[in-house]
Amino acid sequence: MKRDRLIPLVLAAATVAWLLAVEGRQGFGRDEGQYMRAGERYWGWFEELGANIRQGHPGRSFTAAGIDHYWSDNAPDHPVIMKTLYGLSWRAFHRCTCTGPTRGLHPIPVKGRHVTLPLFARDSTAFRFPAFLFAALLVVMVYRFARQFVAPPAATAAAVLALAQPHYFFHAQIACFDAPITTMAFAVGFAYWKSLRDPRWGIAAGALFGVALGVKHNAWLMPFFLVAHYVWMRREDFLGWLPGNARRASPRPRRLPRVPLAFLSMLVLGPIIFYAHWPWLWQAPIARTRAYIRRHLEHEHYNFEYLGLNWNNPPTTTALKLLRATAPFVETGLTVPVTTLALAAIGAGRLARRKRGAPVSPDAESETPIAEGPSWLRPGADVDRAPGAFLLAQTLGPLAVLALPSTPIFGGVKHFLAATPYLAVLAGIGLASVAPPLVAAIARRRARLAGVVPVALAAIVCLPSVAETRRSHPDGLAHYNLLAGGFAGGATLGMNRQFWGYAVAPMLGDINREPERAAMYWHDVIHDALSMYKRERRLDLSVGDTGFGEEGIRRSQLGILFYEKHWAMYEGWFWESYGTTRPAAVREREGVPLVTLYKRSVR
Amino acid sequence: MDPFVARRARLLGAVAVVLLALVETAVALVAPHLAPTDADGRAAAAEVRSGFRAGDLIVAAPGWADPILRVHLGDLIPAEVAGRLDDGRFARVWEVSQRGARSEVRGQLALERRFGALTVRRIERPAPAVDYDFVARWADARVSRRPARGPVVACQNAGDRIQCPDISYNFVRRQIVEVDQKLREALLAQPVGDATVVVEFPAVPLGRTLELGTGLHNTWMRKEAHGPVDLRVFVGGAPAASLTTRNEDGWKRTTIDTSARAGQTAPVRFEITSPAPQARHFAFAAEARG
Repeated sequence: MKRDRLIPLVLAAATVAWLLAVEGRQGFGRDEGQYMRAGERYWGWFEELGANIRQGHPGRSFTAAGIDHYWSDNAPDHPVIMKTLYGLSWRAFHRCTCTGPTRGLHPIPVKGRHVTLPLFARDSTAFRFPAFLFAALLVVMVYRFARQFVAPPAATAAAVLALAQPHYFFHAQIACFDAPITTMAFAVGFAYWKSLRDPRWGIAAGALFGVALGVKHNAWLMPFFLVAHYVWMRREDFLGWLPGNARRASPRPRRLPRVPLAFLSMLVLGPIIFYAHWPWLWQAPIARTRAYIRRHLEHEHYNFEYLGLNWNNPPTTTALKLLRATAPFVETGLTVPVTTLALAAIGAGRLARRKRGAPVSPDAESETPIAEGPSWLRPGADVDRAPGAFLLAQTLGPLAVLALPSTPIFGGVKHFLAATPYLAVLAGIGLASVAPPLVAAIARRRARLAGVVPVALAAIVCLPSVAETRRSHPDGLAHYNLLAGGFAGGATLGMNRQFWGYAVAPMLGDINREPERAAMYWHDVIHDALSMYKRERRLDLSVGDTGFGEEGIRRSQLGILFYEKHWAMYEGWFWESYGTTRPAAVREREGVPLVTLYKRSVR
Repeated sequence: MDPFVARRARLLGAVAVVLLALVETAVALVAPHLAPTDADGRAAAAEVRSGFRAGDLIVAAPGWADPILRVHLGDLIPAEVAGRLDDGRFARVWEVSQRGARSEVRGQLALERRFGALTVRRIERPAPAVDYDFVARWADARVSRRPARGPVVACQNAGDRIQCPDISYNFVRRQIVEVDQKLREALLAQPVGDATVVVEFPAVPLGRTLELGTGLHNTWMRKEAHGPVDLRVFVGGAPAASLTTRNEDGWKRTTIDTSARAGQTAPVRFEITSPAPQARHFAFAAEARG
């Protein structure tokens, strides 16, 4: 239908427009600064490849030295699809002032003025632009997926609710991987779902899984959630196969179902695409893949505040393990807008009550089997596809992994963001199930409004999410929902407010005006982030950096401190070195401190 | 369920969702305007300054608002007060609160005034005098290292610390420490393998109690190491307390009853050991209170 093409387009355009309109207020975290640096350096490889081709020696770019010179940046930490896109986007769309005074702040030599399509005034916007497109793609996919179960108003609401979540929105604006891997997790899940009745999507699922592997390591988990659904969907086959089971009397075949095409495709295409996309692997595929995997399986437990405690080690007592296991569920319950949560709960209830073979809603695709027998090419054609189990596995799966006490929880919500679009789909289903009685009641009184009410209702349930997201910006990480009590409620509950030093951005103007700015201590703001602020002239070139830790504070005349529980010791160093406990200023949101500025001259 | 009742229930459910959405939207729009403003902070600070006396304590409630409080009143909150052993010695406490929060300080309410979204309260209660502050008097201490075998090693005042020979981290120093992610002013005295670190204050005017706080400094050290630290306290040569401090203890408070010797002057000795001393940044603070 025309409407089903137009609405996603409008949603995608609105998503990009919203993100472009606001992203500049959000600063650069430690990780984003590194990824921008790496992205520009990866572009350097392409630039050199072009030069080598022109000189007739393209092979030079494929030697071990030629590759590692560029691609060893941020390796083995993360694969390179997003970083490469960020670098290419920067190269294509920035407004070049690269040969001016900031020339030396680039991670690769600037050989001359870049010819670009100067869409964006700031370099960082150009870097971030691919992330916006991934967010827009997610919104489109959520709409398309939700349309399989509900009518356009509810599907539109699901798409808006997927974007309008303060923590997701925070990550959607930055040149990192958490929002893009959320898009890819949804894409892989969507393709798998379609593959249940269409073999073309089985191939697509494998290709998308390969791309997901190239975006972030969360992709490793995706097959587990899909297999869980597959086993549930075909549980009759598995149960019937068990020896002595009464279901053996069933006329259905007793053999185990064959591995479906989607899984085979993921198994084959996934590693091929993963290997092909990352030049750093080419020289020593096994050793370097092992290094990459070990990097994440043995990842350090960074400090993270949850319910008033600082978590930086796996819990050792039973009580702490239990408390730690609640983290992803409590964090979801306190960060996702409450109306979205309520609708998702209603949607989950609707799916639980659905009878096998029945549609999710009157507007949904049929779940009646369309084939007589099982097929590995279309493994969901002869059975009900169990949409409830699918959404449950995709929503709870990422949360369950983070509930394991051995899993580091730093980063909080970002590590299970992949659950949130599925939560939004559940909310859309919830909306579709509560709307009819209200529509009927209003239609009985005002028949003319019957067609408008579903749209109005969809708009009303999106209002709080949009309002909360707008309220949270640019400090989405510090924001907590109505249940928690907003910024202040989150602080009172002892929930994490921020990480990696992004929150300084609104203070840069004041720092530029400080007479002693040459002796500035930057705490958790990484050098790459400072370089980018300076490249964009948000930070004056005369602003200095006195270095790290206690010595950095001793050398400084002014400095900042980010409020995270584990940084308390740094504030003690300020007190001792500056001889005062009095900050010059505090950057706060709704009375909750985020960043403190100390000056040696203030007593 | 009766179909009519079921329809009604579903309708009520839909209305409830709409109401929830409207309430959540309204709160999102209104809540930012209910937070304390800078003008509220200045007005509250002016009220505190007008009645402040030396020795008063100023606290924020909830505690997370403390940095903003210190922007306005930090000159009245020196490091030794901000990093106090506890609140017990303060007879007058100014509390600047918001959102109905209350500090843990209890006593008689002597004043309460509201300034926009902030409330200033002054709480008064009887408080014991501090006869001897071991942290402030750190230079009085005689520090030594008593190995399991061999002679006792005496340590020397090196300006900002009392340093023991041969082992760089074997010293006692007054500093701001971080225990359980809170700042305290304390004496840092790391334990040493196969030896006892002895910190003795030779002439302490005793009151009714000896108040003691112990903890392990430095988040990263607590992440890396897990060994317990044992502290034995001797008053006038007699054992008065023995306690063990672990990572999870936070700032561990102990009260030693010295009422039998109140008014007397006696040596107080702290003996610090650990079966696993690596990365154990042990800190303690103590006060003799009347």
